[in-house]
Amino acid sequence: MSKRFLSRRQMLSIAGGGIGSLALADLMSGATSPMSAKQPHFPAKAKAVISVFCYGGVSHVDTFDPKPELGRHPGETMPGKGKVIVSQGHPGGMMPSPWTFKKYGQCGMEVSELFPNVAKHVDDIAFIRSMYSLSNDHAPAMFQMNTGSVLPGYPSMGSWITYGLGTENQNLPGYIVFSDWRGGPIGGAPNWGNGFMPAAYQGTPFRSSGDPIVDLKPPAEMTPERQRRWLGFLEKLNDEHARKNPLDSELSARIASFELAYQMQEHATRVVAIDNEPEHVRKAYGLDQKHTQYVGRQLLMARRLVEKGVRFVQVYSGGGNFGESWDAHWDLKENHEMHCGETDQPVAALLADLKQRGLLDSTLVIWHGEFGRMPISQRMNGRDHNPLGYTVWMAGGGIKGGQVIGATDEFGYQAVEDRKSVNDLHATMLHCLGFDHEKLTYPYNGRQMRLTDVAGNAIKPLLA
Amino acid sequence: MVLEPEVPSPTLRVHLGFSDRWDVFGQRVVEVWVVGIIIRKMKLAAALLFSVTALFADDALEQRAVGILKKNCLMCHGSALQSSKLDLRTRESILKGGEHGPALVPGKAEQSKLYRFAAALDQPSMPPGKKLSAEDAGTLKAWIDSGAPFASVVGVDDKAATLAKLEERPITADERMFWSFQPVRRPAGRAGIDELIREKLTAKGIAFSPPASKRELVRRAYLDLVGLPPTPAQVSDFLNDSSPQAFAKLVDRLLASPHYGERWGRHWLDLARYADSGGYEFDRDRDNAYLYRDWVVKALNADMPFNEFVRMQLAGDEIKPGNRDAIIATAYLALGGEPNMNTPQTRSDVLDDMIATTAGTMLGMTVGCARCHNHKFDPIPQKDYYRMQAVFFNAKPAEVPLVSEEEVARHKDRLKAWTEQRKPLKEALAAFEKPFRTRMIADKTEKLADYIKVALATPAEKRTEGQRLNAIQVEKTIEVRDEELAPSITGDNLRVWDALKARLKAFDATRPKLESAWAVEEKKIEPSYFSHHGSVDNPGSLMKPGVLSVAYEGEWNFPEGHGRRKAFAEWIVSPENPLTARVTVNRIWQHHFGEGIVRTASNFGKTGERPTHPELLDWLAAEFVSSGWSIKTMHRLIMNSAAYQMSSNDTDAGVRADPENRLLWRQARPRLEGEIIRDSILAVAGTLRAEQIGGPGMYPYIDPALWAGGSGRTWAGKAIDDASTWRRSLYIFQKRTIPVPMMELFDGPSATASCPRRNRSTIATQALILMNNAFVLDQAKRFAGRLRRDAGEDPAAQVERAFALALARSPSEAERRESIAFIRKNPDGLADFAQAIFNLNEFAYIP
Repeated sequence: MSKRFLSRRQMLSIAGGGIGSLALADLMSGATSPMSAKQPHFPAKAKAVISVFCYGGVSHVDTFDPKPELGRHPGETMPGKGKVIVSQGHPGGMMPSPWTFKKYGQCGMEVSELFPNVAKHVDDIAFIRSMYSLSNDHAPAMFQMNTGSVLPGYPSMGSWITYGLGTENQNLPGYIVFSDWRGGPIGGAPNWGNGFMPAAYQGTPFRSSGDPIVDLKPPAEMTPERQRRWLGFLEKLNDEHARKNPLDSELSARIASFELAYQMQEHATRVVAIDNEPEHVRKAYGLDQKHTQYVGRQLLMARRLVEKGVRFVQVYSGGGNFGESWDAHWDLKENHEMHCGETDQPVAALLADLKQRGLLDSTLVIWHGEFGRMPISQRMNGRDHNPLGYTVWMAGGGIKGGQVIGATDEFGYQAVEDRKSVNDLHATMLHCLGFDHEKLTYPYNGRQMRLTDVAGNAIKPLLA
Repeated sequence: MVLEPEVPSPTLRVHLGFSDRWDVFGQRVVEVWVVGIIIRKMKLAAALLFSVTALFADDALEQRAVGILKKNCLMCHGSALQSSKLDLRTRESILKGGEHGPALVPGKAEQSKLYRFAAALDQPSMPPGKKLSAEDAGTLKAWIDSGAPFASVVGVDDKAATLAKLEERPITADERMFWSFQPVRRPAGRAGIDELIREKLTAKGIAFSPPASKRELVRRAYLDLVGLPPTPAQVSDFLNDSSPQAFAKLVDRLLASPHYGERWGRHWLDLARYADSGGYEFDRDRDNAYLYRDWVVKALNADMPFNEFVRMQLAGDEIKPGNRDAIIATAYLALGGEPNMNTPQTRSDVLDDMIATTAGTMLGMTVGCARCHNHKFDPIPQKDYYRMQAVFFNAKPAEVPLVSEEEVARHKDRLKAWTEQRKPLKEALAAFEKPFRTRMIADKTEKLADYIKVALATPAEKRTEGQRLNAIQVEKTIEVRDEELAPSITGDNLRVWDALKARLKAFDATRPKLESAWAVEEKKIEPSYFSHHGSVDNPGSLMKPGVLSVAYEGEWNFPEGHGRRKAFAEWIVSPENPLTARVTVNRIWQHHFGEGIVRTASNFGKTGERPTHPELLDWLAAEFVSSGWSIKTMHRLIMNSAAYQMSSNDTDAGVRADPENRLLWRQARPRLEGEIIRDSILAVAGTLRAEQIGGPGMYPYIDPALWAGGSGRTWAGKAIDDASTWRRSLYIFQKRTIPVPMMELFDGPSATASCPRRNRSTIATQALILMNNAFVLDQAKRFAGRLRRDAGEDPAAQVERAFALALARSPSEAERRESIAFIRKNPDGLADFAQAIFNLNEFAYIP
């Protein structure tokens, strides 16, 4: 029978009042807790992941994958490509990018003027320009990016990572999700769901203002002192029940969970208290500007969370419908200028901040959407979904920066060189965290399930 | 080297120059080859060079290599199938390659995928599950290095025969011997739950735990059967009955309660991946899905025989055509997610959901694993999967009318008339808007990119393909949204516009409605095919409906046309099927004892667990069938056993001998589901609207931070203290993309796949919701109010009453003392005390 838990009061009575809440968190992280910190398969650099999910689909040909060919033949069809399958009908001819590209860094990576700040970090970033997805519909593509499957109901990346590694700080959820200020993404909670795994591995939605977690705090009249007294009373009553079955670890874990929840109120509140950050840091993340402050707050919080031992933080840029996300079916220029404007400075600040604190080595940052966008026009000045080729990038956490993997064709329509699947991306992420993606398995329905299903290879050239 | 893709024409074959020259059948047509060189030299100097080399290649080597390809590769990369879109039958198709690029680089074996996979230098090695001999691999290498001469092997394989061979996976006699495929056998000479359990305990030297106290027992029975804690009056009814039949009578009373179906219906809904919406992007509300939920509750309350319960859900429409309840029951098949797009792939996913759910739920088999290949562990051929797919193939989820055909015809007429009447209203609005729209479109056209303007200005017949597409795009997609139009319409015009819009809107509200259920309809019988690798792009042989071949030897009788599901259902509930009765009694057992006799309740295969009590399982299955598949009979049988009525507390001997309680020396202490914790809170607070059974789902408050966003998704959450939400949690609208936090945190099922057993996590965020959630706090206050009403202002009486209501007992001395002191000492002591009761472990666990 597994190690048993003791309530705080039991602990106090055993230790003569000398054991505080820290020991209790240790208890909760004992071998029986699903979230206790665990070792991966092999030593690895990355301890945590921050995923910046540009939901709706970023146009790669307007950001990180320049295609001069589009400007040379505006309005013409792509030679040799046949009929283009689009998600919403009426495909047009090639649409030139409204933005210009410039070379940056020692690696000479070309980045468009949409990301002038991120561009300064290209030497720390590895770009995969040959990604492809299996669906050109948002929900399945998002599920695939988050869970590896185009169908809903599978555990998400953060679930797999917390399942594999537990978390280093029991006073905070190990897996945290921030939605865009305009609302959550298509597909909703299944995007950070635990699928068939226990609820311990589900993502906890965080708000970027007010109390970070829904129901973190009681109404105002329930003061901390009153709740503390209440908790003491609850523990006394629970102890009497627990005495009947002192070996039941589930009962004692539940008793401990109340104490932990009480601690979480304090810790979660403190970790998002970014008002205490120095002025220059707040400014760097763009907290002083209206358009950048929302994502800036979230990414600054993400850095603080990772610093405190949280394993997986996902920040959504774009929410709600159409133009509110990166889904630029209409007016690409307006859409991407808005979204890039909101994210460029904060994302760059996150990279700089992590690096300056020595955290970039142990934090893997992944920037991605669920697919790319078409090189041809839609609705005159927009671009439709393109799952056949797009760009994602990774930085830190054991990734060798300043390089590009793979390529799309001369139009940015299809990934043609060194094509990489979402399984490959997931395998690489797991590798950075010390996991062989084929061995990180969870038994379900008679099978040993994997984040990468039955495919994927870690992209070795990306690794430092 | 790049060859033109898609080269189907003979001209091009000649143009390539090699095919006829090196045909494996030996014809040598040098002239054609020469023509080939002439045509090709402009295009591919490399090919020319290599073809000259190849001219002197070794014929024997070529024949050996082609022989290896024929023997090992063509099955999946030939006429029958082109796995990974690779066809190895002709030289051009090899050079063109498949999904992973060209299969061969002539002259360079080490760079050729064909060789690398065949020699296991790259994974996955080919052919799958077989290693090519070193000699054969060497031959391939030498052949490729020599330029890979050969033309084609067209015509050497017979498509139908190859497919049939690929798809065949015979079942061995040994495989049929696996325990769960054996017929159910009533154990000889012994009978009854207690005897069959005691037998195993005695062998281990453990005894049954002592019986639970009557108070524990009454609480256990209520939570187990109706999912509500017993009221003090219900407790004393039981305590005051000292007859030996007291508990049996209690069980009968509970089985007769309408709340029984609410509790046990939820168990079935977990299996049936029930939800009130379609998931995915639009997560469309299925406003009538509750009809199915209510049908399940009613069926259980009426003790509908389980075989009938199965028949109705799989084939109600075929068994009782036109019958309202029968149509509603088939919603079972249609409850899965609803993809946004309708493609052969998404259709295949919908079918997969039907197959996997039905096989798991009704057969305890992971048939879904055989979608892409033969089952890796169990003797389930992929063909069985596609035979089952043929059973369901024509049943399509749809809104099915619940009224007579005549009524449907009348509805169509009404709708037609309505549409006619609507037309002038719509036209009037359009006519009014037209000048404004035209002006706005002119403005927009003016702002288009220059190259699009050029396209528009070019006469249609002179446009390039791109210009043609762009012109169509402008014509079809230039639009003016109402909000863009609004600023240009002012004054009197605005009043007219508003009036026209209002008139149309009012008329739209009068659209005739037809009562329908989200269920399945089967209009015509279309053929369905085996899908190799589970891909709709790799169709195999035509499939006839069938049952699980390992569980039934021979061909079950299926009709050619409609009625396949009925025939399939008949097999499921026939004595010929060893699985379903076992699987079902095991589920009933699981809910009474926390774990099943087989702990993997939907997996009775090799990777599942073996039964802890195989004879007991068979005895129960036999009883179940002979009772006429009566679930209530099984409840009585199980609950009236000594095993069920044991104490759930640990004993030293038990913990030492069998810490996991696999042999059942004590009862289980399962945690209640999120639904039942919430229901218990409402019941104890005295606010539960228990009398409202069935009907459309309700919307308790959910913080918008947890759901707002995404394609118009919305949640019409009521206020925290809105009494319309004080119903049992079963009736919460189950929206797939908006889980209710209380259920989500307590391991509620996600409704994406059948859920045979809920996980049981213990996490801090569960504690947060019970500590801080405004609904819980509001109910605590109401509970405190009830205590005051029931027991007056005396804390001792309040404490006594609280324990009686929530825990079916009196407090211990220490509990009484601490509670009274707490209530007295704290300003809002009673409400806080009430909330503490909601948070007790004892409150959340079945005793």
